[in-house]
Amino acid sequence: MAAHKKPLIIHFSLALVALMLAGPGAQARPQRIVSIIPSVTEMLFAMGAGPRVVGVGTFDRYPPEALTRTKVGGLIDPDMERIISLKPDLVAVYETQTDLRTQMNRAKIPVFLYRHSGLSDITSTIRELGARIGSVKEGSDLAGRIDAEIADVRKRIAGRPRPRTLLVFGRDAETLRGIYASGGIGFLHDMLEAAGGVNVFTDVKRQSIQTTSELAIARAPDVIVEIGADTSSSSGRNLRAWDAVGAIPAVRNKRIYLLRGDGMMNPGPRISQSVRRMAEVLHPGAIK
Amino acid sequence: MRIGRRMAVTWLLFGAAAALVCLVAPLMGSTSINLWRVFDSSIPFADNADAQIFFVARLPRVLAGALVGSALAASGVVLQALLRNPLATPFTLGVSAGAALGAMLALTLDMPSGIVGFSAVPIASFAGSLGAVAIVYGLARARRSGLSTNVLLLAGVTLNSFFSALILFVQFLSDFTQTFRTVRWLMGDLDVSSYAPLLAAVPPIALSFGAFAVLPRRMNLLSISDESAASRGVDVHRTQRLAFLSASLATGAAVSLGGPVGFIGIVVPHLIRLIVGADHRLVLPASAFGGAAFLVACDTVSRTALAPLEVPVGVVTAIIGGPFFLWLLIRNR
Amino acid sequence: MTEKGLAADGVSFAYTVGQPVLSSASARIARGGLVGILGPNGSGKTTLLRLLGGLLSPAAGRVTLDGTDLRTLSRAIVARRMAMVPQETQLAFEYTVIEMAVMGRYPHLGAFEIEGPEDLEIARDALRATGTLHLESRLFNTLSGGEKQRVVIAGALAQRPDILLLDEPTASLDLAYQLEIRSILRTLNAERQLTIVVSTHDLNLAASLCRELILLDRGRVLAAGPTQSMLEPALIRTLYGVDVDITTNARTGQVIVVPVAREAESPQP
Repeated sequence: MAAHKKPLIIHFSLALVALMLAGPGAQARPQRIVSIIPSVTEMLFAMGAGPRVVGVGTFDRYPPEALTRTKVGGLIDPDMERIISLKPDLVAVYETQTDLRTQMNRAKIPVFLYRHSGLSDITSTIRELGARIGSVKEGSDLAGRIDAEIADVRKRIAGRPRPRTLLVFGRDAETLRGIYASGGIGFLHDMLEAAGGVNVFTDVKRQSIQTTSELAIARAPDVIVEIGADTSSSSGRNLRAWDAVGAIPAVRNKRIYLLRGDGMMNPGPRISQSVRRMAEVLHPGAIK
Repeated sequence: MRIGRRMAVTWLLFGAAAALVCLVAPLMGSTSINLWRVFDSSIPFADNADAQIFFVARLPRVLAGALVGSALAASGVVLQALLRNPLATPFTLGVSAGAALGAMLALTLDMPSGIVGFSAVPIASFAGSLGAVAIVYGLARARRSGLSTNVLLLAGVTLNSFFSALILFVQFLSDFTQTFRTVRWLMGDLDVSSYAPLLAAVPPIALSFGAFAVLPRRMNLLSISDESAASRGVDVHRTQRLAFLSASLATGAAVSLGGPVGFIGIVVPHLIRLIVGADHRLVLPASAFGGAAFLVACDTVSRTALAPLEVPVGVVTAIIGGPFFLWLLIRNR
Repeated sequence: MTEKGLAADGVSFAYTVGQPVLSSASARIARGGLVGILGPNGSGKTTLLRLLGGLLSPAAGRVTLDGTDLRTLSRAIVARRMAMVPQETQLAFEYTVIEMAVMGRYPHLGAFEIEGPEDLEIARDALRATGTLHLESRLFNTLSGGEKQRVVIAGALAQRPDILLLDEPTASLDLAYQLEIRSILRTLNAERQLTIVVSTHDLNLAASLCRELILLDRGRVLAAGPTQSMLEPALIRTLYGVDVDITTNARTGQVIVVPVAREAESPQP
């Protein structure tokens, strides 16, 4: 019965490889996963691993199902005791949380290391995560979908003139104080480029830059996009504050857009939707 | 030279210096602008980028710097006389801690103010400062003896510690972006981009300066001792009250406008005293003008040194203030 | 008939409720007098001095100047009639000697008035009277103890008062400076008819300087009168709990009080 033996050997080898990739003490398919990173939590649920998630971070709000899981803290204040009490067999932590990592190692709990970076890293993280939790196919499918959506957006806006854009992610309500915009690196910048815009701060090699009104006028963006998480006062954020600097082309031509939503700032699975939304306002009519 | 003439010279000289700095500062910045275009009335304002940079971005900022700098420096002088200690600052008695707590809450709770061009942060900040003043004043008021300066100092220091702890707690509860914004506020920011917060800060500061106008002679006497001031006819209790309340009001308004910019309230009075002597009739006006010039100059550095990046103005004043005190220490040894 | 001079009528005072520092104290200081308030530390001397100078308000009783209750007089008027010299002056700021002296002119200036050449001359005159004019441009903080005290007295003189009140004027001074201050005060009293009230615990200063004494014992006036009669062993024993020997110095004719032994101890033979 050689025909039956072959698939058995293949499954066995794959499992062995997965085991080796996973590291010491690792489960091939972890059943009790804790994630303190919002985007990783989203990725887990999006891959169908939701039932295996037992603990989430304090700021993890999507999908709604995640809210039913036990909260164990976040970047600054991970609750060690609570994490351990959940008896996890995999914990996703930030690469920079050296204290937490040491404690997890001491407790012999396997960790998945996460690092914030550019747009392309989101899909590679999804693939890695998928392999790590024994959902290689789901991970790869999810990543593939995201890549395809973004590629689709790129195709639709190809050849169109790319507007100079100021991408704002923070501002004191009703004023032009405390404006924080995306600098020339980071995933927000990547999002903007993918959506068909040119960052007015491409030359500034930082993730964020505090934009004074003088700077905003000097850089003269054609479009201003304000993004942010959904907070109750977001509707109060008065765009009329920009009228004071009417010399900016974006203000003059009334091309200031508010993109709200929890997923906008999260480098997670919904990123392709965010890119699409951004492309919609940068190139009206090109999408859909 | 007699005091009358010295006062006139002081007002003229320091006033001119402050005016000069305030006239030159809006001409400097990270972007080069054409002065002819700025004042060219044929171009509609809404299209005139140079004019907007000058009148919307730079001018309010320079005026805010002048207002905040003069308020903090003058308050520093008054409090130093009240507490008979040249190391006292406008922040010693807890006013800025109250202002900071108010600002933190507004930033963390993302409060809207409902008025365009007006953030809720300065309003909450001013309310916080008034709260702190009320607490310290209430604690320091002895039944019969007016204001005990010892208790004032203790109450202020205690309030500073307590409010700092509360501020840390609020920061801990807020999410990452909010924490960053609160930390940034603590470093000082004069980029008001609008005349509204300026105009709102003028009444309390003007009121305080009105009080400051009658204080100098009494402060000379009071700075020696309560007894020696009383024996020369000074109403010690009333003067202490006036000094404390007016200095705190000016500080609260200044911090609400530009954040708690440090070192102005202590570096400027020190420098001024080295130049004009100890008579408060000279020190107070000279410090007010000197504070304005100093802060506007620091703010100009803040927005040009690492352009397009902004160095928070509180960092600039600290970088200058720290070595200054080191130099003073070495010089006095 | 209005009495000329400063008078306290049964004044009581407490800094904290329930702990009276002075109880029903009465004192009379005639115009041109040279009076000492004598008593051990904590007897209420400084408090009585402050009440007399109008710096404190009595809880009971009243203080009158030429018959008028001090509380009915404005601060400025009181400041032009009486000046106070505290025990020690420590400056937080670098005032010059002439600035310190000129500050004495403030009670005579209007709300926004600035001192004029006349005021400056009066200040200089005051410095001259205490022998400190040559120090006028110096910083007060750089002076010796004796010089500082003399400058502070000059500042008080610049107020052109009728009455000068001094709190322990020689307590922190070296011997030479003590002599100096004593001689300045005697001269001021003699030449300018300045009424001088001094509070002190130093028996010998009281003996050498004052013509009259008020003995203060734990907040109450024990006795008052000419120095000769006040420096009486029985009174001093009550006040200080010390047996003393009172002699007259052969060279200066000055009365000297020598402490011999504590009360209830007899000297060893």
